[in-house]
Amino acid sequence: MEKVDVVCPFCGCLCDDLVVTVDGGHVTDIKNGCVVSRSKFMNHGKHRVSSATAHNEKKNIQEAVDAAIKILSHSKRPLIYGLSSTECGAISKAIEIAEVTGGVVDNTASVCHGPTILALQQVGESKASLGEIMNRADMVVFWGANPTEAHLRHITRYSVMPKGMYVEGRKARKVVVVDVRKTRTARMADKFIQIQPNGDYEVLQTMRALVRGEEIDVDEVAGIPIDELKALVTEMSEAKFGAVFFGLGLTQSEGRHMNIDAAVGLVSEMNRKTKFVLTPMRGHYNVAGANTVFTWQTGHPYAVDFSRGYPRYNPGEFTAVDLLASGEVDAALIIASDPAATFPVDAAKHLAKIPVVTLEQKKTPTTMLSEVVIPVATAGIEADGTAYRMDGVALRLSKLVEPPEGVFSDEHILDLILNGLKEAAK
Amino acid sequence: MTKIEVTLISGRTAKQGIGLEEGKPSEAYINSVCMVQLCPGDVEKLGVNEGDPVTVATDHGSVTVHWEGDEGLDSGIIFFPYGPWANQVYASGTGSTGMPLMKGIPAMVEPGGKVLLLEEIVESLREEG
Repeated sequence: MEKVDVVCPFCGCLCDDLVVTVDGGHVTDIKNGCVVSRSKFMNHGKHRVSSATAHNEKKNIQEAVDAAIKILSHSKRPLIYGLSSTECGAISKAIEIAEVTGGVVDNTASVCHGPTILALQQVGESKASLGEIMNRADMVVFWGANPTEAHLRHITRYSVMPKGMYVEGRKARKVVVVDVRKTRTARMADKFIQIQPNGDYEVLQTMRALVRGEEIDVDEVAGIPIDELKALVTEMSEAKFGAVFFGLGLTQSEGRHMNIDAAVGLVSEMNRKTKFVLTPMRGHYNVAGANTVFTWQTGHPYAVDFSRGYPRYNPGEFTAVDLLASGEVDAALIIASDPAATFPVDAAKHLAKIPVVTLEQKKTPTTMLSEVVIPVATAGIEADGTAYRMDGVALRLSKLVEPPEGVFSDEHILDLILNGLKEAAK
Repeated sequence: MTKIEVTLISGRTAKQGIGLEEGKPSEAYINSVCMVQLCPGDVEKLGVNEGDPVTVATDHGSVTVHWEGDEGLDSGIIFFPYGPWANQVYASGTGSTGMPLMKGIPAMVEPGGKVLLLEEIVESLREEG
Protein backbone atom coordinates (compact mmCIF):
# COMPACT_ATOMS: atom_id res chain seq x y z
CA MET A 1 0.00 0.00 0.00
CA GLU A 2 1.32 3.47 -0.91
CA LYS A 3 1.01 6.21 1.69
CA VAL A 4 1.29 9.73 0.27
CA ASP A 5 2.22 13.10 1.72
CA VAL A 6 4.26 11.43 4.42
CA VAL A 7 6.42 13.83 6.47
CA CYS A 8 10.10 12.93 6.74
CA PRO A 9 11.37 12.86 10.34
CA PHE A 10 15.04 13.56 9.70
CA CYS A 11 16.03 17.22 9.32
CA GLY A 12 14.41 20.59 9.87
CA CYS A 13 13.09 20.65 6.28
CA LEU A 14 10.32 18.18 7.28
CA CYS A 15 9.64 17.42 3.59
CA ASP A 16 5.97 16.47 3.47
CA ASP A 17 5.72 14.90 0.03
CA LEU A 18 7.16 11.44 0.60
CA VAL A 19 5.43 8.40 -0.85
CA VAL A 20 6.09 5.38 1.34
CA THR A 21 5.20 1.83 0.36
CA VAL A 22 4.16 -0.42 3.23
CA ASP A 23 3.84 -4.14 2.62
CA GLY A 24 3.18 -6.78 5.24
CA GLY A 25 3.67 -4.31 8.07
CA HIS A 26 7.09 -3.20 6.77
CA VAL A 27 8.34 -0.18 4.85
CA THR A 28 9.45 -1.58 1.50
CA ASP A 29 10.07 1.56 -0.57
CA ILE A 30 10.18 5.33 -0.38
CA LYS A 31 9.91 7.92 -3.14
CA ASN A 32 10.81 11.63 -3.17
CA GLY A 33 13.02 11.42 -0.07
CA CYS A 34 16.71 12.36 -0.03
CA VAL A 35 19.37 9.69 0.55
CA VAL A 36 19.28 10.24 4.32
CA SER A 37 15.49 10.02 4.39
CA ARG A 38 15.69 6.76 2.42
CA SER A 39 18.24 5.45 4.92
CA LYS A 40 15.96 6.38 7.83
CA PHE A 41 12.83 4.71 6.43
CA MET A 42 14.51 1.65 4.95
CA ASN A 43 16.86 0.98 7.90
CA HIS A 44 14.64 1.84 10.85
CA GLY A 45 14.58 -1.83 11.85
CA LYS A 46 18.38 -2.23 11.93
CA HIS A 47 20.59 -2.03 15.03
CA ARG A 48 17.54 -1.74 17.29
CA VAL A 49 17.67 -1.97 21.06
CA SER A 50 16.43 -5.55 21.31
CA SER A 51 14.92 -5.35 24.79
CA ALA A 52 14.68 -3.14 27.85
CA THR A 53 17.61 -3.46 30.24
CA ALA A 54 18.40 -2.28 33.75
CA HIS A 55 21.86 -2.68 35.25
CA ASN A 56 22.85 -4.85 32.26
CA GLU A 57 20.01 -7.34 32.78
CA LYS A 58 17.10 -7.85 30.44
CA LYS A 59 13.83 -6.53 31.89
CA ASN A 60 10.30 -6.09 30.72
CA ILE A 61 9.15 -2.55 30.02
CA GLN A 62 7.46 -2.05 33.39
CA GLU A 63 10.52 -3.28 35.29
CA ALA A 64 12.74 -0.92 33.31
CA VAL A 65 10.31 1.95 33.89
CA ASP A 66 10.37 1.16 37.65
CA ALA A 67 14.18 1.21 37.60
CA ALA A 68 14.06 4.60 35.82
CA ILE A 69 11.62 5.95 38.41
CA LYS A 70 13.91 4.79 41.22
CA ILE A 71 16.93 6.55 39.69
CA LEU A 72 15.08 9.79 39.01
CA SER A 73 13.25 9.93 42.34
CA HIS A 74 16.54 9.42 44.24
CA SER A 75 18.36 12.06 42.22
CA LYS A 76 18.95 15.49 43.76
CA ARG A 77 19.61 17.14 40.39
CA PRO A 78 18.63 15.13 37.33
CA LEU A 79 19.25 16.32 33.77
CA ILE A 80 16.50 15.61 31.26
CA TYR A 81 18.00 16.06 27.80
CA GLY A 82 17.56 15.46 24.09
CA LEU A 83 14.04 15.69 22.69
CA SER A 84 14.71 17.20 19.26
CA SER A 85 14.20 13.95 17.36
CA THR A 86 10.87 13.03 18.84
CA GLU A 87 7.38 14.47 18.60
CA CYS A 88 5.87 17.26 20.66
CA GLY A 89 3.75 15.07 22.98
CA ALA A 90 6.89 13.37 24.30
CA ILE A 91 8.62 16.72 24.76
CA SER A 92 5.70 17.95 26.84
CA LYS A 93 5.88 14.92 29.17
CA ALA A 94 9.66 15.27 29.58
CA ILE A 95 9.30 18.87 30.73
CA GLU A 96 6.73 17.78 33.31
CA ILE A 97 9.18 15.13 34.56
CA ALA A 98 11.74 17.91 35.09
CA GLU A 99 9.18 19.88 37.07
CA VAL A 100 8.17 16.90 39.24
CA THR A 101 11.79 15.94 39.97
CA GLY A 102 13.05 19.51 40.44
CA GLY A 103 15.55 18.82 37.67
CA VAL A 104 16.96 20.62 34.68
CA VAL A 105 15.55 20.12 31.19
CA ASP A 106 17.43 21.02 28.04
CA ASN A 107 17.13 20.17 24.36
CA THR A 108 19.72 19.80 21.61
CA ALA A 109 19.26 23.42 20.56
CA SER A 110 21.86 24.18 23.21
CA VAL A 111 24.54 22.63 20.95
CA CYS A 112 23.18 23.80 17.59
CA HIS A 113 21.12 26.99 17.31
CA GLY A 114 21.05 27.90 21.02
CA PRO A 115 23.22 30.94 20.26
CA THR A 116 20.70 31.87 17.55
CA ILE A 117 17.93 31.90 20.13
CA LEU A 118 20.05 34.01 22.48
CA ALA A 119 20.60 36.57 19.73
CA LEU A 120 17.00 36.59 18.51
CA GLN A 121 15.78 37.14 22.08
CA GLN A 122 17.97 40.25 22.20
CA VAL A 123 17.36 41.75 18.79
CA GLY A 124 14.28 40.11 17.24
CA GLU A 125 14.06 38.63 13.77
CA SER A 126 12.70 39.29 10.32
CA LYS A 127 11.33 35.97 9.13
CA ALA A 128 9.16 34.24 6.56
CA SER A 129 7.90 30.73 5.90
CA LEU A 130 9.81 28.55 3.46
CA GLY A 131 6.75 28.76 1.19
CA GLU A 132 6.93 32.54 1.09
CA ILE A 133 10.66 32.38 0.36
CA MET A 134 10.02 29.88 -2.45
CA ASN A 135 7.38 32.15 -3.96
CA ARG A 136 9.21 35.45 -3.61
CA ALA A 137 12.96 35.25 -3.01
CA ASP A 138 15.09 36.39 -5.94
CA MET A 139 18.23 36.37 -3.81
CA VAL A 140 19.31 33.61 -1.45
CA VAL A 141 22.40 33.75 0.76
CA PHE A 142 23.69 30.65 2.57
CA TRP A 143 26.04 31.77 5.33
CA GLY A 144 27.98 29.09 7.21
CA ALA A 145 25.44 26.55 5.98
CA ASN A 146 25.89 23.55 3.69
CA PRO A 147 22.44 22.21 2.77
CA THR A 148 23.84 19.84 0.13
CA GLU A 149 25.18 17.77 3.03
CA ALA A 150 22.84 18.53 5.93
CA HIS A 151 19.44 19.55 4.47
CA LEU A 152 19.54 17.70 1.21
CA ARG A 153 16.27 18.85 -0.41
CA HIS A 154 16.31 22.41 0.89
CA ILE A 155 17.76 23.73 -2.36
CA THR A 156 15.52 21.73 -4.68
CA ARG A 157 12.29 21.95 -2.70
CA TYR A 158 12.27 25.32 -0.95
CA SER A 159 14.98 27.86 -1.57
CA VAL A 160 16.73 27.76 -4.96
CA MET A 161 15.35 25.49 -7.67
CA PRO A 162 11.54 25.58 -7.37
CA LYS A 163 9.42 27.88 -9.48
CA GLY A 164 7.57 30.23 -7.15
CA MET A 165 4.51 32.38 -7.64
CA TYR A 166 6.64 35.45 -8.41
CA VAL A 167 10.02 33.86 -9.22
CA GLU A 168 10.84 31.74 -12.25
CA GLY A 169 12.97 29.15 -10.47
CA ARG A 170 16.76 28.86 -10.37
CA LYS A 171 17.61 31.21 -13.24
CA ALA A 172 15.71 34.06 -11.60
CA ARG A 173 17.46 33.67 -8.25
CA LYS A 174 20.90 34.95 -7.33
CA VAL A 175 22.56 32.46 -5.00
CA VAL A 176 25.50 33.43 -2.78
CA VAL A 177 27.42 31.20 -0.39
CA VAL A 178 29.67 32.55 2.37
CA ASP A 179 31.79 29.83 3.95
CA VAL A 180 35.29 28.96 5.11
CA ARG A 181 35.59 26.16 2.54
CA LYS A 182 34.32 25.50 -0.95
CA THR A 183 31.47 23.14 -0.14
CA ARG A 184 29.19 21.42 -2.64
CA THR A 185 26.66 24.18 -1.89
CA ALA A 186 29.32 26.76 -2.80
CA ARG A 187 29.95 24.97 -6.10
CA MET A 188 26.35 25.44 -7.23
CA ALA A 189 26.20 29.11 -6.20
CA ASP A 190 26.48 32.11 -8.51
CA LYS A 191 28.96 33.63 -6.10
CA PHE A 192 31.17 32.06 -3.46
CA ILE A 193 32.76 34.29 -0.86
CA GLN A 194 35.48 32.55 1.12
CA ILE A 195 35.89 33.86 4.63
CA GLN A 196 38.68 33.15 7.11
CA PRO A 197 37.66 30.90 10.03
CA ASN A 198 36.19 32.93 12.93
CA GLY A 199 35.91 36.02 10.72
CA ASP A 200 32.12 36.14 10.39
CA TYR A 201 31.41 38.80 13.01
CA GLU A 202 33.80 41.31 11.47
CA VAL A 203 32.49 40.69 7.96
CA LEU A 204 28.84 41.01 8.99
CA GLN A 205 29.50 44.24 10.89
CA THR A 206 31.47 45.60 7.95
CA MET A 207 28.58 44.85 5.62
CA ARG A 208 26.20 46.63 8.00
CA ALA A 209 28.38 49.71 7.78
CA LEU A 210 28.53 49.45 3.97
CA VAL A 211 24.73 49.26 3.75
CA ARG A 212 24.60 52.52 5.68
CA GLY A 213 27.03 54.09 3.21
CA GLU A 214 29.97 54.27 5.64
CA GLU A 215 33.51 54.30 4.25
CA ILE A 216 35.72 51.47 5.48
CA ASP A 217 39.43 52.33 5.79
CA VAL A 218 40.85 48.83 5.32
CA ASP A 219 41.42 46.86 2.13
CA GLU A 220 40.08 43.54 3.32
CA VAL A 221 38.17 41.96 6.21
CA ALA A 222 38.70 38.31 7.21
CA GLY A 223 40.36 37.62 3.87
CA ILE A 224 37.66 39.25 1.73
CA PRO A 225 38.54 42.38 -0.30
CA ILE A 226 36.35 45.36 0.61
CA ASP A 227 35.36 45.76 -3.04
CA GLU A 228 33.94 42.23 -3.00
CA LEU A 229 31.86 43.05 0.08
CA LYS A 230 30.69 46.31 -1.51
CA ALA A 231 29.59 44.41 -4.61
CA LEU A 232 27.71 41.89 -2.47
CA VAL A 233 25.94 44.62 -0.51
CA THR A 234 24.95 46.29 -3.79
CA GLU A 235 23.55 43.03 -5.17
CA MET A 236 21.63 42.40 -1.97
CA SER A 237 20.20 45.93 -2.06
CA GLU A 238 19.02 45.42 -5.61
CA ALA A 239 17.09 42.22 -4.78
CA LYS A 240 13.33 42.44 -4.47
CA PHE A 241 13.17 39.84 -1.74
CA GLY A 242 16.25 38.34 -0.14
CA ALA A 243 16.60 35.42 2.24
CA VAL A 244 19.63 34.65 4.39
CA PHE A 245 19.86 31.05 5.57
CA PHE A 246 22.53 30.55 8.19
CA GLY A 247 23.95 27.45 9.78
CA LEU A 248 26.26 26.29 12.52
CA GLY A 249 29.16 28.01 10.79
CA LEU A 250 27.96 31.06 12.72
CA THR A 251 26.82 29.48 16.01
CA GLN A 252 29.70 27.05 16.63
CA SER A 253 32.60 29.39 15.83
CA GLU A 254 34.07 32.26 17.83
CA GLY A 255 31.48 34.92 18.55
CA ARG A 256 28.59 32.42 18.63
CA HIS A 257 25.44 34.38 19.52
CA MET A 258 27.14 37.66 18.68
CA ASN A 259 27.61 36.40 15.11
CA ILE A 260 23.85 35.96 14.89
CA ASP A 261 23.31 39.34 16.48
CA ALA A 262 25.40 40.81 13.66
CA ALA A 263 23.57 38.76 11.00
CA VAL A 264 20.20 39.97 12.29
CA GLY A 265 21.65 43.47 12.26
CA LEU A 266 22.67 43.10 8.62
CA VAL A 267 19.22 41.83 7.65
CA SER A 268 17.68 44.69 9.59
CA GLU A 269 19.88 47.17 7.69
CA MET A 270 18.94 45.50 4.39
CA ASN A 271 15.29 46.16 5.20
CA ARG A 272 16.04 49.88 4.90
CA LYS A 273 16.67 49.18 1.21
CA THR A 274 14.49 46.20 0.31
CA LYS A 275 12.82 43.15 1.85
CA PHE A 276 15.13 40.64 3.58
CA VAL A 277 14.48 37.75 5.94
CA LEU A 278 16.66 35.44 8.01
CA THR A 279 16.12 31.74 8.69
CA PRO A 280 18.24 29.39 10.79
CA MET A 281 18.90 26.00 9.19
CA ARG A 282 17.58 23.88 12.03
CA GLY A 283 19.14 20.41 12.07
CA HIS A 284 17.12 17.83 14.01
CA TYR A 285 13.65 17.50 12.56
CA ASN A 286 11.81 18.73 15.64
CA VAL A 287 14.34 20.93 17.38
CA ALA A 288 12.12 23.90 16.49
CA GLY A 289 9.25 21.97 18.11
CA ALA A 290 11.31 21.35 21.23
CA ASN A 291 11.92 25.10 21.56
CA THR A 292 8.23 25.75 20.95
CA VAL A 293 6.89 23.24 23.49
CA PHE A 294 9.48 24.32 26.08
CA THR A 295 8.32 27.89 25.63
CA TRP A 296 4.62 26.99 25.98
CA GLN A 297 5.20 25.14 29.21
CA THR A 298 8.02 27.03 30.91
CA GLY A 299 8.25 30.39 29.16
CA HIS A 300 11.77 29.52 27.95
CA PRO A 301 13.03 27.65 24.85
CA TYR A 302 15.81 25.49 26.42
CA ALA A 303 18.11 25.35 29.47
CA VAL A 304 15.36 25.37 32.09
CA ASP A 305 15.96 24.62 35.77
CA PHE A 306 13.14 23.60 38.14
CA SER A 307 15.19 23.19 41.33
CA ARG A 308 13.34 26.06 43.01
CA GLY A 309 9.96 24.72 41.97
CA TYR A 310 9.51 27.25 39.19
CA PRO A 311 11.26 27.52 35.81
CA ARG A 312 14.47 29.51 35.55
CA TYR A 313 16.36 30.05 32.29
CA ASN A 314 20.10 30.49 32.01
CA PRO A 315 22.04 29.12 29.03
CA GLY A 316 25.64 28.55 30.06
CA GLU A 317 24.49 27.37 33.48
CA PHE A 318 21.47 25.15 32.83
CA THR A 319 22.67 23.82 29.47
CA ALA A 320 23.59 20.15 29.18
CA VAL A 321 27.27 20.48 28.26
CA ASP A 322 27.91 22.88 31.15
CA LEU A 323 26.00 20.77 33.69
CA LEU A 324 27.82 17.58 32.68
CA ALA A 325 31.28 19.13 32.35
CA SER A 326 30.97 20.66 35.83
CA GLY A 327 29.72 17.36 37.27
CA GLU A 328 26.69 19.15 38.66
CA VAL A 329 23.99 16.63 37.76
CA ASP A 330 23.72 13.26 39.52
CA ALA A 331 21.43 11.40 37.08
CA ALA A 332 20.21 11.83 33.52
CA LEU A 333 17.17 10.94 31.46
CA ILE A 334 18.08 11.02 27.77
CA ILE A 335 15.34 10.96 25.15
CA ALA A 336 15.96 10.69 21.38
CA SER A 337 19.54 11.89 21.59
CA ASP A 338 23.08 10.56 21.83
CA PRO A 339 25.13 12.96 23.95
CA ALA A 340 27.89 10.36 24.49
CA ALA A 341 28.53 10.61 20.73
CA THR A 342 27.90 14.32 20.28
CA PHE A 343 29.30 16.14 23.34
CA PRO A 344 32.91 17.14 24.02
CA VAL A 345 34.69 14.33 25.83
CA ASP A 346 34.75 16.01 29.26
CA ALA A 347 30.99 16.40 29.26
CA ALA A 348 30.42 12.90 27.86
CA LYS A 349 32.63 11.40 30.58
CA HIS A 350 30.27 12.53 33.32
CA LEU A 351 27.54 10.40 31.73
CA ALA A 352 29.72 7.38 32.54
CA LYS A 353 29.82 8.37 36.22
CA ILE A 354 26.12 8.90 36.90
CA PRO A 355 23.07 6.65 36.44
CA VAL A 356 21.62 7.33 32.99
CA VAL A 357 18.18 6.31 31.73
CA THR A 358 17.92 6.34 27.94
CA LEU A 359 14.89 5.99 25.68
CA GLU A 360 16.20 4.96 22.26
CA GLN A 361 15.29 3.02 19.15
CA LYS A 362 18.84 2.03 18.25
CA LYS A 363 22.09 1.10 19.96
CA THR A 364 24.24 4.17 20.51
CA PRO A 365 27.27 5.14 22.60
CA THR A 366 24.78 6.61 25.11
CA THR A 367 22.83 3.34 25.42
CA MET A 368 26.18 1.57 25.94
CA LEU A 369 26.81 3.80 28.99
CA SER A 370 23.27 3.71 30.39
CA GLU A 371 22.04 1.97 33.55
CA VAL A 372 18.55 1.69 32.11
CA VAL A 373 17.71 1.45 28.42
CA ILE A 374 14.11 1.41 27.22
CA PRO A 375 13.43 0.69 23.54
CA VAL A 376 10.92 3.03 21.92
CA ALA A 377 9.03 3.44 18.65
CA THR A 378 10.42 5.64 15.87
CA ALA A 379 8.30 8.79 15.71
CA GLY A 380 7.11 9.46 12.17
CA ILE A 381 7.35 5.79 11.19
CA GLU A 382 6.02 3.75 14.13
CA ALA A 383 4.30 6.52 16.09
CA ASP A 384 2.43 9.66 15.08
CA GLY A 385 2.72 13.13 16.55
CA THR A 386 3.47 16.73 15.67
CA ALA A 387 6.74 18.34 14.63
CA TYR A 388 7.78 21.90 13.74
CA ARG A 389 9.66 22.72 10.55
CA MET A 390 12.70 25.05 10.67
CA ASP A 391 10.45 28.01 9.81
CA GLY A 392 7.97 27.23 12.62
CA VAL A 393 5.30 25.50 10.52
CA ALA A 394 3.71 22.57 12.40
CA LEU A 395 3.26 19.30 10.48
CA ARG A 396 1.75 15.98 11.44
CA LEU A 397 3.97 12.89 11.52
CA SER A 398 2.43 9.57 10.44
CA LYS A 399 2.34 6.18 12.02
CA LEU A 400 3.03 3.91 9.02
CA VAL A 401 3.81 0.58 10.66
CA GLU A 402 3.51 -0.99 14.09
CA PRO A 403 6.60 -0.83 16.33
CA PRO A 404 8.21 -4.13 17.40
CA GLU A 405 6.07 -6.08 19.84
CA GLY A 406 6.06 -4.64 23.34
CA VAL A 407 7.64 -1.36 22.20
CA PHE A 408 5.80 1.92 22.80
CA SER A 409 6.19 5.59 21.86
CA ASP A 410 8.45 8.01 23.77
CA GLU A 411 5.32 9.78 25.01
CA HIS A 412 3.82 6.57 26.41
CA ILE A 413 7.01 5.57 28.27
CA LEU A 414 7.52 9.11 29.60
CA ASP A 415 3.92 9.12 30.80
CA LEU A 416 4.55 5.89 32.72
CA ILE A 417 7.68 7.38 34.29
CA LEU A 418 5.88 10.65 35.10
CA ASN A 419 2.97 8.89 36.79
CA GLY A 420 5.35 6.69 38.75
CA LEU A 421 7.31 9.73 39.92
CA LYS A 422 4.10 11.45 41.02
CA GLU A 423 3.14 8.33 42.98
CA ALA A 424 6.59 8.11 44.57
CA ALA A 425 6.35 11.75 45.64
CA LYS A 426 3.07 11.23 47.55
CA MET B 1 57.90 13.16 10.99
CA THR B 2 55.98 16.10 9.50
CA LYS B 3 53.52 17.87 11.72
CA ILE B 4 51.32 20.65 10.30
CA GLU B 5 49.37 23.44 11.94
CA VAL B 6 45.74 23.63 10.86
CA THR B 7 42.37 25.13 11.70
CA LEU B 8 39.78 22.46 12.47
CA ILE B 9 36.24 22.84 11.17
CA SER B 10 33.61 20.25 12.09
CA GLY B 11 30.15 19.67 10.70
CA ARG B 12 27.60 17.36 9.18
CA THR B 13 27.95 15.26 6.05
CA ALA B 14 25.36 13.36 4.06
CA LYS B 15 27.32 10.14 4.55
CA GLN B 16 27.19 10.66 8.30
CA GLY B 17 23.42 11.18 8.11
CA ILE B 18 22.96 8.02 6.05
CA GLY B 19 25.15 6.08 8.46
CA LEU B 20 23.54 7.27 11.67
CA GLU B 21 20.10 6.41 10.35
CA GLU B 22 21.34 2.89 9.69
CA GLY B 23 22.78 2.79 13.20
CA LYS B 24 25.78 4.08 15.13
CA PRO B 25 27.42 0.63 15.25
CA SER B 26 27.14 0.31 11.45
CA GLU B 27 30.17 0.36 9.19
CA ALA B 28 28.55 3.16 7.18
CA TYR B 29 28.38 5.43 10.27
CA ILE B 30 31.82 4.60 11.62
CA ASN B 31 33.49 5.09 8.23
CA SER B 32 31.74 8.45 7.87
CA VAL B 33 32.91 9.92 11.20
CA CYS B 34 36.20 8.16 12.02
CA MET B 35 38.01 10.34 9.49
CA VAL B 36 39.10 13.85 8.62
CA GLN B 37 39.12 15.56 5.25
CA LEU B 38 42.40 17.13 4.14
CA CYS B 39 43.28 19.23 1.12
CA PRO B 40 45.64 17.62 -1.42
CA GLY B 41 48.48 20.00 -0.51
CA ASP B 42 48.32 19.04 3.17
CA VAL B 43 48.22 15.35 2.24
CA GLU B 44 51.44 15.90 0.33
CA LYS B 45 53.04 17.79 3.24
CA LEU B 46 52.12 14.99 5.64
CA GLY B 47 53.40 12.34 3.23
CA VAL B 48 50.51 10.01 3.99
CA ASN B 49 49.19 7.37 1.63
CA GLU B 50 45.64 6.13 1.32
CA GLY B 51 44.79 4.04 4.37
CA ASP B 52 47.43 5.61 6.61
CA PRO B 53 46.04 7.01 9.88
CA VAL B 54 46.60 10.59 11.00
CA THR B 55 46.49 12.03 14.51
CA VAL B 56 44.66 15.29 15.17
CA ALA B 57 45.60 17.15 18.35
CA THR B 58 44.30 20.33 19.96
CA ASP B 59 45.10 21.95 23.31
CA HIS B 60 42.38 19.77 24.70
CA GLY B 61 42.99 16.28 23.37
CA SER B 62 44.06 14.11 20.48
CA VAL B 63 42.58 11.33 18.40
CA THR B 64 43.71 9.13 15.53
CA VAL B 65 41.48 8.67 12.50
CA HIS B 66 41.54 7.86 8.80
CA TRP B 67 41.61 10.61 6.17
CA GLU B 68 40.24 11.42 2.74
CA GLY B 69 41.07 14.18 0.30
CA ASP B 70 38.81 17.18 -0.34
CA GLU B 71 39.75 19.71 -2.99
CA GLY B 72 37.27 22.22 -1.57
CA LEU B 73 39.51 22.81 1.44
CA ASP B 74 42.30 25.37 1.51
CA SER B 75 45.69 24.37 2.81
CA GLY B 76 45.69 24.62 6.59
CA ILE B 77 41.99 23.83 7.08
CA ILE B 78 40.75 20.34 7.94
CA PHE B 79 37.15 19.13 8.18
CA PHE B 80 36.15 16.65 10.88
CA PRO B 81 32.59 15.22 10.72
CA TYR B 82 30.69 15.37 14.05
CA GLY B 83 30.93 12.16 16.03
CA PRO B 84 32.62 10.26 18.87
CA TRP B 85 36.12 10.68 17.38
CA ALA B 86 35.84 14.42 16.77
CA ASN B 87 34.55 14.89 20.33
CA GLN B 88 37.95 13.86 21.70
CA VAL B 89 39.50 17.16 20.62
CA TYR B 90 36.84 19.70 21.62
CA ALA B 91 37.00 21.62 24.89
CA SER B 92 33.79 21.61 26.91
CA GLY B 93 33.89 25.31 27.82
CA THR B 94 30.94 27.20 26.41
CA GLY B 95 31.74 30.81 27.31
CA SER B 96 28.45 30.93 29.24
CA THR B 97 26.41 30.22 26.11
CA GLY B 98 25.85 26.45 26.39
CA MET B 99 27.66 25.94 23.08
CA PRO B 100 31.18 24.49 22.94
CA LEU B 101 33.42 25.68 20.08
CA MET B 102 33.32 23.09 17.30
CA LYS B 103 34.60 25.17 14.39
CA GLY B 104 37.66 27.33 13.87
CA ILE B 105 39.81 25.47 16.41
CA PRO B 106 43.65 25.57 16.18
CA ALA B 107 44.98 22.02 15.81
CA MET B 108 47.99 19.98 14.71
CA VAL B 109 47.93 17.00 12.35
CA GLU B 110 50.66 14.38 12.02
CA PRO B 111 50.89 10.96 10.40
CA GLY B 112 50.50 7.80 12.45
CA GLY B 113 48.76 6.67 15.63
CA LYS B 114 46.27 3.94 16.51
CA VAL B 115 42.65 4.25 15.44
CA LEU B 116 40.32 3.26 18.30
CA LEU B 117 37.16 1.24 17.67
CA LEU B 118 33.77 2.72 18.63
CA GLU B 119 33.60 0.39 21.65
CA GLU B 120 37.07 1.52 22.75
CA ILE B 121 36.06 5.17 22.46
CA VAL B 122 32.98 4.48 24.62
CA GLU B 123 35.05 2.54 27.16
CA SER B 124 37.53 5.42 27.34
CA LEU B 125 34.69 7.60 28.62
CA ARG B 126 34.64 5.44 31.74
CA GLU B 127 38.28 6.24 32.48
CA GLU B 128 39.17 8.86 35.09
CA GLY B 129 40.78 12.12 34.09
